[in-house]
Amino acid sequence: MEYTIKYKAKNSYETEVTDALWQFLIAPQDNESQKLRLAEFKNSLNAATEESTNSLNFNIYRVIQRKAFKSIDFEANFIVRKEEVNPFSALDSIYNAEHYELINSLDFRITHEQFLNSTELTGYPGAGLSFEFEENRSVFDNLQQLNNWLFTNFKFKQQVTDIRSTPEDFVARGAGVCQDFTHLFLAIARKNKIPTRYTSGYLHQGNGYKGDSQMHAWAECYIPEKGWLGFDPTNNLIALENHIKVAHGKDYSDCSPIKGVLYTSSSTNSTEYSVEVFAREENAPDVFTQSQSQGFDDRANQQQLDFQMQWQQQQQQQQQQLRKQFSAKF
Amino acid sequence: MSQSQTQSIFSSYEKDPKFYDEIFDEDGNVKKVYQTLFDLYSGHSSQDYARLNDKAKASFFNQGITFQVYSENEAKEKIFPFDLFPRIIDPKEWEVIERGVLQRSKALNHFIWDIYHDKKIIKQGIVPLDLITSSANYLHQMIGVDPPGGIYNHISGTDLIKHSDGKYYVLEDNIRCPSGVSYVICNRTALKRALFGVFNHYNAHTVTDYAQNLLEMMETVKPRGVDEPNCVVITPGVYNSAYYEHSYLAKAMGVELVEGRDLFVENDFVYMQTIKGPERVDVIYRRIDDAFLDPLEFRPDSALGVPGLFSAYKKGNVCLVNAPGTGFADDKAVYTYMPQIIKYYLNEEPILNNVHTYHCSRPDELKYVLENVDKLVIKPVDEAGGYGISIGNRLTKEEIEKVKKTIQASPRKYIAQPIMSLSVHATYIEESESFESRHVDLRTFCLLGANKEFVLKGGLTRVALKKGNLIVNSSQGGGSKDTWVLKKKS
Repeated sequence: MEYTIKYKAKNSYETEVTDALWQFLIAPQDNESQKLRLAEFKNSLNAATEESTNSLNFNIYRVIQRKAFKSIDFEANFIVRKEEVNPFSALDSIYNAEHYELINSLDFRITHEQFLNSTELTGYPGAGLSFEFEENRSVFDNLQQLNNWLFTNFKFKQQVTDIRSTPEDFVARGAGVCQDFTHLFLAIARKNKIPTRYTSGYLHQGNGYKGDSQMHAWAECYIPEKGWLGFDPTNNLIALENHIKVAHGKDYSDCSPIKGVLYTSSSTNSTEYSVEVFAREENAPDVFTQSQSQGFDDRANQQQLDFQMQWQQQQQQQQQQLRKQFSAKF
Repeated sequence: MSQSQTQSIFSSYEKDPKFYDEIFDEDGNVKKVYQTLFDLYSGHSSQDYARLNDKAKASFFNQGITFQVYSENEAKEKIFPFDLFPRIIDPKEWEVIERGVLQRSKALNHFIWDIYHDKKIIKQGIVPLDLITSSANYLHQMIGVDPPGGIYNHISGTDLIKHSDGKYYVLEDNIRCPSGVSYVICNRTALKRALFGVFNHYNAHTVTDYAQNLLEMMETVKPRGVDEPNCVVITPGVYNSAYYEHSYLAKAMGVELVEGRDLFVENDFVYMQTIKGPERVDVIYRRIDDAFLDPLEFRPDSALGVPGLFSAYKKGNVCLVNAPGTGFADDKAVYTYMPQIIKYYLNEEPILNNVHTYHCSRPDELKYVLENVDKLVIKPVDEAGGYGISIGNRLTKEEIEKVKKTIQASPRKYIAQPIMSLSVHATYIEESESFESRHVDLRTFCLLGANKEFVLKGGLTRVALKKGNLIVNSSQGGGSKDTWVLKKKS
């Protein structure tokens, strides 16, 4: 399969921003099941753009604007080829006690410690859950059951949670978006000692899957003898050719598509944001075609606003923080 | 020296056999190394000392050498009280300290490298995995990163005490940019000003060569391909309690003192804004905590750091002194594994003693701690500055119950140690206008570079000014003494 992906963002501020830096984690990863054939990234102010990598070695774009401005548009276009790989094997559903011995071994836990410990966003909910791993069931089947359990018991609904929502909040509300499904999946899988990482990327919107007009999230689990495999609990799917991976991390905070540092007195701003994924003909010429539709997503919008509000508030509190943080260390 | 004058100045000096006295031996005689000093001091009246004390205090105020103490809602500017009676360490004793401190510093560096690479020490079962991964200061961002020269803890501040058995024990290792070295240098300056005649009778090592050695060390950890590295000191700014020290060190090294907004990152290189245009920066002595270094990688609300600094560091284009993520290794719970850590990496016996430590995370040790709170010091694992410490024999019954509950609520957060009796030293006390005995410790300063090692011959002797108090931290009302390490007689 081949896809064209268009990512757009527009930031506007009421008063001038004098200095700004953004970091985008939006470029599809090059890996064994996907090839990034073409990438372009531009902005309306022709601000300098650099490529670099984040601490987990995923590619990022950095945009630096040192002249005053009130509004900026970003647009990224990618062409990606996904290999059709069949990850299933006859062994997946056969219980193997050695697999459980392996995941309990010290060497295994050391190798995967990064994705075994809970984080602020992936804490196991205090209230009892109706899901448990079953003994005598294969690791793969248990994870499949978890995927199915999340899909069946939780509703996909926007604007009931926000970027700081925890699995506990998600369980209490019974509804949320792909990030919430993924964070709860991570909490449960890690509690059962399965190395699991938060994965961000794009979902091909062709089949009416949920979470298609924004960046999507799913989980990748390390299964003994098999390696990393993606589970998408929002859609009860195994991540295959419809899932285009950008990055992974411990939780959302390692994968947020846009981070920024702005110097402004502006108290109000607006952000619009959209993602489109189109299937394209295999081996068509590698050029970008004009897209027709333009959808903006409310939740993504909200994330941006939250982020910027937070930033401004925190700038105001800076003085206070300085005093609190640096206590005399004698 | 007249007997009456000795009486007046040292008349309130109580000798308590429970504690090791740095000045007097068991029979009450002045130790050899202090004899000259003692004779000279005894020749003066208490009025002379009151006057000298005022002079020394004024000198500190005038130089602006102050720090801030934090309580619930306010911060107060204070001078760090300086004591007129110096501490003297003879060359033989110092030789052991120096080797011991360097040994710990090297072992810690090996340990940090191993944890961020192969984790062999965990695979060997010497240090438990959870001890590391549960530490908030263990940074996943540092996994696989190779810092220039392979050095993480370029600057270590190991705190030592002398117990009633007359032996030095390590209280903790500080490897998150330890502060205090500027006081060492200022104390020497103040003492020489106030009592030059006294200083001249001894042949003590200089302490003013620290800055030169710091700069030399920084130059050894320059990034690849750089001939003459451009070094800077980065400070959180004038509100920081140790701002004086940041500016002092920058000035003494002859390098720029910068704040986050003076630096920027372009294509993974770090630059400093100057009137001549951007200038590349190669080595940064950072006095900003890990979490505030780079808002794109750590706390997004940090306005103190430099966006993009971490990717420049990871690519080896700039060196941070000390490296990010060293904090898991000076954690009080890791401290208890130091003897094993030293043996594992260096194949040597530890030169300095560790204080025996009970881990509240281990059920049997927790049981002992809960039953013996009155005989122990309870410490939170990850608080600096003497905050949150409970000393068992000072607590009321109700307070002991409260401490027990706190420990039980989160055992991993606490360790306990026997109450160590810090040695005592003659200290000038304003209220009584005489010299009394007070508890002291010693912070040492050790530098580690690529083929560069240096231990400052001297250190910060901290004094608990409150009678009987064992906590010497400046934030808890401590003062300090000039510390003389004597040269070997040739």
